[in-house]
Amino acid sequence: MSDRTARTIWWRWAWRDLHHHAAQIVSIGLVVAIGTGLFAGLSSTGTWRRLSNDASFAALHIHDLRVALQLGTFAPDGALLDAARSIAHADQLDTVAERLVIDSQVDASSDSDTVLVGARIVGASGLASGAGAAPVDTLWVADGSRPAAGSDDALLEVKFARYYGLPVDGSLTVAGGAAVRYRGLAVAPDDFSIVAQEGSVLAEADLATLYLDLPAAQRLTGRTGVVNDLVVTLRPGADATTIGAELVAAVDALGMVSPTVTTRDQTEVYRMLYDDIDTDQQMWNILSVLVLGAAALAAVNLISRAAEAQRREIGIGMALGLPRWKLGVRPALIGLEVGLVGVLAGIGIGLGVGALMRGLLESLLPLPVYLTPFQYGVYARGTLFGLLPPVLASVVPVWRAVRVEPAEAIRTGHLAPDHGRLGAWTARLRLPGSSMAQMPVRNVLRRPRRALLTALGVGAAITALVAVLGMLDSFTATIDQGVKEVTKGDPDRVTVTLAGLTSRADPNLAAIADSAVVGAVDTGLRVPATVTTPGATGEPIDLLLEVIAFRDALWTPTTAPVTTAAATSGLVIARKAADDLGVGVGDTVVLRHPRLLDGRYSMAETTMVVSAIHPDPIRSLAYLDSQFATRFGMDQLANIAQVVPAEGFDRSDLQRALFGLQGVSSAQPVARLGEVFDDVLDRFTGFLVLTAGAVLALGVLIGLNTTRIGVEERRREHATMLAFGVPVWRVVAGVVVEAAIVGIGATVVGLGAGYLTLRWVLDALAQRTLPDIGVVLSMGGLTVSLAAAVGIAALTLSPLLLWPRIARMDISDTLRLME
Amino acid sequence: MATTNLPRGSRIDLEHVSKRYRVGSGEVTALDDVSLQVDDAAFVVILGASGSGKTTLLNIIGALDTCTEGTARVDGAVVTGASARRRAAFRRHSVSFIFQTFNLFPGLTAFENVRFGADASRRSHPDDAASAAIERVGLGDRRDHFPHQLSGGEQQRVAIARALATGNPILLADEPTGELDFRTGVQILAALEEQARNGMTVLVVTHNREISRIADRVIELSSGRIVSDGPPRGGRASIGDLQW
Repeated sequence: MSDRTARTIWWRWAWRDLHHHAAQIVSIGLVVAIGTGLFAGLSSTGTWRRLSNDASFAALHIHDLRVALQLGTFAPDGALLDAARSIAHADQLDTVAERLVIDSQVDASSDSDTVLVGARIVGASGLASGAGAAPVDTLWVADGSRPAAGSDDALLEVKFARYYGLPVDGSLTVAGGAAVRYRGLAVAPDDFSIVAQEGSVLAEADLATLYLDLPAAQRLTGRTGVVNDLVVTLRPGADATTIGAELVAAVDALGMVSPTVTTRDQTEVYRMLYDDIDTDQQMWNILSVLVLGAAALAAVNLISRAAEAQRREIGIGMALGLPRWKLGVRPALIGLEVGLVGVLAGIGIGLGVGALMRGLLESLLPLPVYLTPFQYGVYARGTLFGLLPPVLASVVPVWRAVRVEPAEAIRTGHLAPDHGRLGAWTARLRLPGSSMAQMPVRNVLRRPRRALLTALGVGAAITALVAVLGMLDSFTATIDQGVKEVTKGDPDRVTVTLAGLTSRADPNLAAIADSAVVGAVDTGLRVPATVTTPGATGEPIDLLLEVIAFRDALWTPTTAPVTTAAATSGLVIARKAADDLGVGVGDTVVLRHPRLLDGRYSMAETTMVVSAIHPDPIRSLAYLDSQFATRFGMDQLANIAQVVPAEGFDRSDLQRALFGLQGVSSAQPVARLGEVFDDVLDRFTGFLVLTAGAVLALGVLIGLNTTRIGVEERRREHATMLAFGVPVWRVVAGVVVEAAIVGIGATVVGLGAGYLTLRWVLDALAQRTLPDIGVVLSMGGLTVSLAAAVGIAALTLSPLLLWPRIARMDISDTLRLME
Repeated sequence: MATTNLPRGSRIDLEHVSKRYRVGSGEVTALDDVSLQVDDAAFVVILGASGSGKTTLLNIIGALDTCTEGTARVDGAVVTGASARRRAAFRRHSVSFIFQTFNLFPGLTAFENVRFGADASRRSHPDDAASAAIERVGLGDRRDHFPHQLSGGEQQRVAIARALATGNPILLADEPTGELDFRTGVQILAALEEQARNGMTVLVVTHNREISRIADRVIELSSGRIVSDGPPRGGRASIGDLQW
């Protein structure tokens, strides 16, 4: 026989193998495909986001520095520009622009929907059509058109409009009753992701940003001729820190309260969009590696079992003197075919996942530029990960077969080797029940490595599922804990933000109290502050410090086990803040806070005792009793009010009543923050469904393949049982129980590893992504149920699909097989 | 030695049984118009070369297979043409099998394999039945060994014990010595013969003419037809006379 003929026969044989095992190859290939597809699809998003962010920020000329005056303080038009031009490194400023940024409220209600939310009015130059685009923080008009020059029309922030389904060209009412016409939907680079007044992220449902020409904004807000914000781009090589300090000094020299300077990198949206890429990518990587790992383990297990079936043929080949490498060709080809099916289908799944992720990203963050090129490197890695495990899996049994003598490899029947050491050790183990009841347990013990590999494969998939769903559970539990804290007493309580610091005797406050829908009102102070430990050199923790009259306030934080009376003696901080500072009740901290002295603001440090710890997960929330207001020089002043509705009214009535009142900047229900977070989580449901669906499919496929191969391997045992008259259902029940044992193991592994992964994700990633939130680790009933569904149900129910195969078995033929 | 109620044999009647298979575009006749009766408490050898139809005959008697034509009865009950469920019930309560390759459950110990027979036929005291059966084949001291820890002969004795533990009256053995050396094969045949002496109906399929010498009756098949039926040629021999 010529070499060519031999090769032809070899290839025909391999082709017949492929034909014979086609269903199995495709089925295991799909397992690999889900792993590689999810890996490639999710891993691509990191590069896409970075490219899109770079292009979008560059297109809109985001500022390098922003100087914001303290709340309620303003500078005359041009004063901030003059201050900027006066600094030592003025030559390093590229462009400088003044803005007016005012927090307000907006009524965008329609006949069918009440939309009363906080608003941010941003006045800047370069908005009108025909004018040159603003050289810094340019607006991207996503839909509609820019207002005409000189008009008071606005552009409305696109995500808010789309969230509520508002028209491209419409009108709404801002606090004070003024109607504003907007001509289009737009976004500034500051607002690529919305950070609400309370600090919540992805808060487009809760914040309407209106962009107007500076004079129009001044007219709308009654702040004619003043500004409170400066944005700057720097020339290449300029030192932002130095210039920032010079700008603060220059603004201080104007007699203003020390302004807040943020560099571009410190801007919340910039930090979110870039820093989150790495943390998100880490999370994607963990999930995709878990899924890929599950697929690889499953592939190794399944293919090695399929290749094991060729052990005898390999022995015959050895006996005929074939070179050992040739013996590995056919099994390796099966592995390669599985890998190829997996990679090809994986590319398709990866592209599908990528398209879904792009859609999700675009809906969450509509950027002016989205770049989503095909990621060759990522897909090449996915291809490698997809091909290697199946090929290696097919090599191992070949290696095991060729290292023994041909006679041993060929041997069949009672002389064939059996290496169930654990099973042998457990021979004297007395198990309850009939022999048929014991059989599944004995079978698992006989092949523990196989059972373990299967359990690990499915367990890895469950780990990914638990990690993903556990994050949702944890965020939900965190929100619930926060909502429970702020809504205790009266869930309809509304926090009113006043237009600025106001005398407690101000008639505007009296007007609030006199409103027919107001049941009770309680004025207070909310000031920015920081807290650190004495002598600490690290970054202090930012606080939103609220001064409350603990004894008679409408609402006070939970301080248990410390009594409310005892809590008045010092600072009440969040558990997260206490943990991050490493302090507890009775420890001393240093509070840095604003102080009003002789009509001028300055920052002061006060050493205080931590008197209690409250359960709200938001780290920044801190409380002091009103006796400490004198330390701020603000004991007769208020800038917020807590209001509860009168009998027969609810929070919407209250919001409507307060909306038109003088001196009211915003009125937000305290429960709203929780609703905002719920909205955000709802929008991640798509991703969760995608991942959970993929993992579920993976679990079912692994289960099906495992069962099918198991049934194939046990066909003689099943035939023997049937020959003894055991009913088909009893045979299937044995397979089900055996699968259930492995499934329970997989579920336990998955839940355990999922819990650890979740804890790590929350400790490591959430700490970086959400440093201001004390995320509560939680695994809900649905998560555990789904994990059990993947682990136990998928494995346990899959044998039922093979019922007909067992029922139709040719018993006598099967029993006479020599293998 | 533990004791248990010994099963009584059953009468087997086959009338004009034929079995034909389709192979590709052609047809193969495995059994051609076979009629026979087997009384209870008999040791019957079905002899024939490979492809003679002897295993097919055994499968039809054991309700593992159906015939194309004819009728098979066991104790008057028609086995052929019954539903799969009824045939399973028949196997559960009437027959037990011994296979050439033993077909023990590798995950179960010797005792558990034997107990399987008692469990399958739903005996009321399966542990007692299994203990008695394994003692009868002389493997009481090997009960906790797994099949791969036993020799071929021991495995086949476990298979016999499994069949005995069912308590069913008919024992069907398909080439029970095919995998064994002479000495072990003789031990197995002695064990089977003993069951016939104890009242069971034992049918042994073999291609080995020497084995047929110890039978009460030898049915020889060729090309699916019975070519001879009667006592062994030259008279019945004892186990000790066998040699191959």
